[in-house]
Amino acid sequence: MSAADIARWRARMPAAFAAPPRTRLIRGLAAAGVLLWLAWALVQFGFSPQRLWNGLAGLFAILRLMLPPSPGEQWPEILQGLAESVAMAFLGTLAAALIALPLGFLGARNVMTVTLLRFSLRRLFDGFRGIDQLIWALAYVRAVGLGPLAGVLAIATADVAVLAKLYAEAIEAVERRQVEGVTAAGGGAPERLRFGVLPQVLPVIVAQALYFFESNTRSAAILGVVGAGGIGLQIAERIRVRAWDEVAFIILLMVATVAAIDWLSARLRRRLIGA
Amino acid sequence: MQGAMLELQGLTRRFGATAAVDGVSLAVPAGQMLGIIGRSGAGKSTLLRLVNRLLEPSAGRILAAGRDVTALRGRALRDWRRDCAMVFQQFNLVQRLDVLTNVLLGRLAHQHGLRRALVLLAGSFGAGERAMALAALERFGLLEVALQRAETLSGGQQQRVALCRALLQQPRIILADEPIASLDPANARTVMDALRQVNREDGLTVLVNLHHLDTAREYCDRILAMQAGRVVFDGPPAALTAERIAAIYGIPEADFAAEAEAAAARAAVA
Repeated sequence: MSAADIARWRARMPAAFAAPPRTRLIRGLAAAGVLLWLAWALVQFGFSPQRLWNGLAGLFAILRLMLPPSPGEQWPEILQGLAESVAMAFLGTLAAALIALPLGFLGARNVMTVTLLRFSLRRLFDGFRGIDQLIWALAYVRAVGLGPLAGVLAIATADVAVLAKLYAEAIEAVERRQVEGVTAAGGGAPERLRFGVLPQVLPVIVAQALYFFESNTRSAAILGVVGAGGIGLQIAERIRVRAWDEVAFIILLMVATVAAIDWLSARLRRRLIGA
Repeated sequence: MQGAMLELQGLTRRFGATAAVDGVSLAVPAGQMLGIIGRSGAGKSTLLRLVNRLLEPSAGRILAAGRDVTALRGRALRDWRRDCAMVFQQFNLVQRLDVLTNVLLGRLAHQHGLRRALVLLAGSFGAGERAMALAALERFGLLEVALQRAETLSGGQQQRVALCRALLQQPRIILADEPIASLDPANARTVMDALRQVNREDGLTVLVNLHHLDTAREYCDRILAMQAGRVVFDGPPAALTAERIAAIYGIPEADFAAEAEAAAARAAVA
């Protein structure tokens, strides 16, 4: 390919060699905007390599205090807290999934054909998704008092909207022909959902719930800090008295617990999806 | 044989207890168009994948122009794959990339060092390569769709894009695995014509798996028939008569074609 050939092709199809000027301008402006925003944020937060370095030194000091990890005197309390966290995550996720399933059907375009209803429901999900689990936990602690009940309610409330949205999308992606087969055999709307749609989405629904259970086990630790039950309270107390070796012990236990749940749910998911 | 572009010596691939390709020895001279036929499961696809090293042989050797390519690794393996371009039944284009970029993927094994990093980070192929890609697309009547996403094209167009991608590798051999099994007759003809064109005009050696005996007879210089992983016929198209087919496969030629077509359709759905 000679230079003249290349020039001829470039003249003939400029778009194949570079994006049009307008597109390049927009991309350049977007990149500049992101960089400016980043620079502004760094300045605003008083970011400096010096502070980062000092922070690292502090973190290192804490790490040294963590070694060796120790169960401390109150280790039965720790185990109880951990069990409580796992139970909270389980109950919260189960409740969320059970409530989200019918909501997901109502939010799916191929099930709920009344656009206005579906649209408002979807926007309601969006609204609920905007409120974090921790905010719900703070609210429930005031409403039902300290303890795991507030945590379960917080997990369930925060996850219903997310799961309902994911379920609705899975339901919208089902294959139409299978549902048509049920209709042709004389099935009405409930039969179509039960035998045409549900078998297609069930693996996704359970897999998502398992993911959420695993992730909620992690976040249940935070909920305890605001008094919503679980292992978080134990961590917060020990950080307050600087018992870093016991904190390290709890962290290791949590890592092991989450890994165990992850392993278990991965096996379950594989069972469900690969038949 | 010294002058062979590609030579297979006792090439074998076992999957568990079954041998998908069983002791295949073969010499393909440069510039030949070799058609490989056989019933589904005869080992045609496995054979081509072994040559391209998408599969590792259980035994035997692959020689290219006298050089052993059976155990190449890393850069040398990438260079060998660049030299024997693959065309697949399902085209294997990246659907969300535009046609031009799909064709430019044929240049990947030509990028080294800093250029490779630039291509990986920013997709910035050189102007010369872009011009090459456009010329290839124009040759097969695809210039108008160069900037469309691959997924917007018909099957016949997609297969021709895949052939353009193969050509941009500047290969010495083209391995086409059932290239027309997913296409309607008219599109199949344009793709086979394109394959013949690169064989005749560019002097590329072509190995093509086919299920239609008529197509193989019409387009190929030489036909290889496989059965249960073994070569059961190797000769000019004229020697592969209907009686010969019936003797090899134990079924009349019409049944052979129908069966192969059904198998290809199943593969297309899968």
